[in-house]
Amino acid sequence: MEIPYIFTPRKDTGLVNSKIAIWLFLASEVMLFGGFFSAYVYLRLGADYPWPERSLPVLPGLINTFVLIASSVTVVFAWAALKMRKWRQFQVYMAITVACAALFMVLKGIEYYLKFHHQAVRLHDYSIVEGHLGYEKEDGKLVLDRKGHPIEENMIRIKAEKISFSTKRYHAAWVEEMLAEASHHQAEINLEADITLVVEEGKPAIEIAKAGAPLSLELLNKIKDVHIAALAHNSQLRTVALREAWKTAHEANPGKKDRELSEGVGIDMEALKPSMLGEIPSVTFVVASPVELLFKPRDIKEGPSSSTLRDDTVITGKMEDSPMVFHYVDAIDFQWLVMKAEKKGIAAETAIENSWLMKNHDFVREAWEWHLKQTAKKQKALNDRYGFKKDGTPVRVLTEKELYRMGWKDLAEKGVDTKGVKISGFDKLKEEFMGPNYDARGNETFEELSVPRDQIRYASKFTPSWNNYYAIYFTITGLHGLHVIGGALVLLYYLLFGRKMYLSNPEWLANRVEVGGLFWHFVDLIWIFAFPIFYLM
Amino acid sequence: MSAKAASHDSHDHHDDHADHHHNPGWLAKYVFSTDHKTIGIQYGITALLFLAFGFYLMMVMRWSIAYPHQPLPDWMGWIFSDTWKSRWLQDGKVTGETYNMFGAMHGTIMVFLGIVPLGFGAFGNYVTPLQIGAVDMAFPKLNMVSYWTYLAGGLVMCASFFMESGAAKSGWTNYSPLAGFADGQIVNQWLAGQTQWLIGLVLLITSSLLGSVNFITTIINLRARGMTWMRLPFFVWAMLVTGFLLLLAFPPLEAAGIMQLMDRVAHSSFFMPSGLFTKADGLADLAGGGSPLLFQHLFWFLGHPEVYVLLLPAIACVAEIIPVNTRKPLWGYKSMVYSVLILGFLSFIVWAHHMYMTGMGSSVSTFFQTTTVLISIPSVVIITALLISLWGGSIRFTPPMLWACAFIPMFGIGGLTGLPLAFNLVGLHLHDTYYVIGHFHYVVAPGILFGLFAGVHHWYPKITGRYTNSFLNHLHFWPSLVCMNVLFFPMLVQGMAGFHRRWYNGGDAYLEKAADSANVFGNIVREHIDLNIVMSYGAWALAVAQIPFIINFLLAWKMGRKVENDNPWDATTLEWATPTPPGHGNFTFDVAIYRGPYEYSRPDCDKDYLPQWQVPDKNARVSEGESEVAASKDTH
Repeated sequence: MEIPYIFTPRKDTGLVNSKIAIWLFLASEVMLFGGFFSAYVYLRLGADYPWPERSLPVLPGLINTFVLIASSVTVVFAWAALKMRKWRQFQVYMAITVACAALFMVLKGIEYYLKFHHQAVRLHDYSIVEGHLGYEKEDGKLVLDRKGHPIEENMIRIKAEKISFSTKRYHAAWVEEMLAEASHHQAEINLEADITLVVEEGKPAIEIAKAGAPLSLELLNKIKDVHIAALAHNSQLRTVALREAWKTAHEANPGKKDRELSEGVGIDMEALKPSMLGEIPSVTFVVASPVELLFKPRDIKEGPSSSTLRDDTVITGKMEDSPMVFHYVDAIDFQWLVMKAEKKGIAAETAIENSWLMKNHDFVREAWEWHLKQTAKKQKALNDRYGFKKDGTPVRVLTEKELYRMGWKDLAEKGVDTKGVKISGFDKLKEEFMGPNYDARGNETFEELSVPRDQIRYASKFTPSWNNYYAIYFTITGLHGLHVIGGALVLLYYLLFGRKMYLSNPEWLANRVEVGGLFWHFVDLIWIFAFPIFYLM
Repeated sequence: MSAKAASHDSHDHHDDHADHHHNPGWLAKYVFSTDHKTIGIQYGITALLFLAFGFYLMMVMRWSIAYPHQPLPDWMGWIFSDTWKSRWLQDGKVTGETYNMFGAMHGTIMVFLGIVPLGFGAFGNYVTPLQIGAVDMAFPKLNMVSYWTYLAGGLVMCASFFMESGAAKSGWTNYSPLAGFADGQIVNQWLAGQTQWLIGLVLLITSSLLGSVNFITTIINLRARGMTWMRLPFFVWAMLVTGFLLLLAFPPLEAAGIMQLMDRVAHSSFFMPSGLFTKADGLADLAGGGSPLLFQHLFWFLGHPEVYVLLLPAIACVAEIIPVNTRKPLWGYKSMVYSVLILGFLSFIVWAHHMYMTGMGSSVSTFFQTTTVLISIPSVVIITALLISLWGGSIRFTPPMLWACAFIPMFGIGGLTGLPLAFNLVGLHLHDTYYVIGHFHYVVAPGILFGLFAGVHHWYPKITGRYTNSFLNHLHFWPSLVCMNVLFFPMLVQGMAGFHRRWYNGGDAYLEKAADSANVFGNIVREHIDLNIVMSYGAWALAVAQIPFIINFLLAWKMGRKVENDNPWDATTLEWATPTPPGHGNFTFDVAIYRGPYEYSRPDCDKDYLPQWQVPDKNARVSEGESEVAASKDTH
């Protein structure tokens, strides 16, 4: 049995099977990315916050665009070489194509890496600070955690005195983490009270664990097993009792409906009591010498004297001062604050003047005043160039972003302007790729800033969780990246293992490369759409 | 007589022409098979098992609705362990959470894991290549991957029943922000039921993408000589359109699924608006600024074409069965073809009629109301053509024909009850009530499922070489027909009274203080709540009624009456030209097609059917028209 039309096109359709399939597949892909691009439009039009415009470094994106276009050309050359039966030429062009794909992914990887290490925080008054978080230091030296990693200054610190686990669902990895942290600090975590339970029907209670037993996963698992077994047993008893109760009720009141009887039907808990097993929904441990535990903000609902982890573990103990410390602030953004203020009828300048940042940090005030001068200059330049309308208002005005956001380029300019910070031409070029150069410009340009925990409305790295601009950026480019990798792997396969196919029937490989090339063009096309909407608009 | 006629065919295909080239092992032949027929059977059996599981979930729900105060009886609850029951039942009673879980999974399983794989995966795979005279699908390996991806997706979804979080609970539509928050207490989000649902969904979409590319390519490129477009059986047309619907409508849902996955594991806010507040957690620790409406748009962009993905394979089966059993051509073949194409196109622009109540704007609603009313035209053309096809025929009430005949009125009820829902104004009253549930269950259960049962009985002799038992079929058919109506008709009544589709206790909570004027539902609920018990009895009886089918399906495989020849129904389409069951490579002769698919009872022929593959007889009483002559010339 042989499937027809693999090598030679069918006469009436003029197509080989794979070509139909790839066009159909691409149609499906168009719908997939169409879904994402529509989502972009929808989210951007419906955004109730200032959409971050042009907030990615353009140069790497632009280079990537050319790299991808170049690879689209070389893949056609590779195909043409096959058609002319020039194997060597095919190899060269295909190798260039795959190399372009690799270069694209490297640049993309650098972009991602920088974003993942860049912090932002939204304060309660909707002003936004962006920058690079600091690491905990003591006497100028980095403090390392027990694994030897520096500790980012964005952790919730709790002096734990007691820890209560929900028996049903503690997260094992967290328990182990606590244990390791405690032993690192030579602290012990011990059971608060004896656990004595009935574990078998009709038998006296037995001791499961003694007060003072050290916390371990085995102990927790043991208690959990006892608890779950008791739940299963007790619930079965209650079920049977309820069923019996209904049976009796139905027999006593023939013809009556459930809802007329339901009030009188119930479980006689007293009668069941002797057969019930002991349940233990939560178990409490005491930390012998209170130890400071660090938690990621997303994992915990912190409170002044007791906090709850996401697995319902309750930690009793004082929450210590856990500020978020920026080692280098590279942007102050008042756009959202202004948007909120204007909705309430408050003038932008007043709102900014009264913001927490302006009141508490002199350098912000200083930077803002400098910024006001700059915007005035820029507006004047616009007025000089474009003039005024009949009613006296300028033809062109600065955008909200220009007015209310001090980005890293503004702060860098200020550093040069007011403090005479100088950096080399190479460093400047590097900044176009990598963003602000903290080392070269130093704290004179990008100052330190500490935000107390109670001022934080929402904080995140520049990941999908920061806002929907980054969410859709990472989703589309991430999926596009997967397509690049997948396509490159297929093309690489033709390059490395295509020889056999070529020798048996060169047209076979040519067809395959054509199909792979079509997909490659599509991957390119997606980028042609993604680049402007994320980098330029 | 007819047996004689069939064996009179110019080609002898009684000797088994199974693949001579290689002898695959058991695993390669039955498990990792690339043969479209084996894959079709795998799809069919898996889908039937999923349907049974979905049915079971429904019975638990119906218990909760009818008897909210009573513990789940043991004959239903034995599947689960005591530990599982202590977690998910309260004193043995179904809790709201568990009801939601079962409801969400019932919908998901029935739609994505049951009916689509049965209609498109099983019948499409088995019959389409046979009907167009192809040796196999264009990409057999892709076909195998498609099945295994589907199975993996299904198992991933169902495995979550046994995870700590339980399975997905946010409805089969999985709306955010409800679905975005669901299982938020699970630390490792990859192991939450809601996340597993999304992963399963992405696998299912991958599977249907591979399947649809394969189907469309096969239909375009692997048609036998002389099989021109207008000689394709209607079944193939329906599969082609279904393929395009799957190909183009599923990806936006995949986009939505990926975005919701991002919301869950990367904490983005695609579908989470600003200022979300929950009682347990206070203000959500999220960026906000997303749009729940966006999810609904993306979901229903799939969701509506999906309805036709369910429906078209069933109509396709019925359209094959009616001509065979009425012994006359399908009435209005061409208009049916054009209708199904228009239907496919229109199904892409009606999606927001599921969203009238979301506040998306009245002008948008008006547009979708108009397109929704428009789409009823091609649907009615198709159903009318099927109805008229019965007219004047000498109907043979074979097992498949019983189901096909019941399909028409049952689907008719489902379709007609959908018309009022198309209108914004009526939507205000009926939105999210049991009326909607009644409407689409009429379409899907006694409609589509009956069509698919018809298909099972119709092609069973080709697949196994044996007939299904007619008596057992009667025992299956008549109770099913009655029970379906007992089960679904009261839903329409309750729905018009305002019963909400998501009451896990059937409205029982509204009975307390029924006379209280603040309790707007109290009195109306009291009038109609007893229908819950009627419907539940319908459901139990329906379950019992499926037993004869299971027995029939299993026993007939080895013990059914053997077919007399390769074309037991005296049909005209190509699948009946193959050996029984068809071997690897399907056909034992060089296939060429000489005429349209439904040449029954031609006055110029001796027998009452003229198969597509029969070489025109030069000495026939009457010449067979110009086109056939031209085609036969091509073959020389």
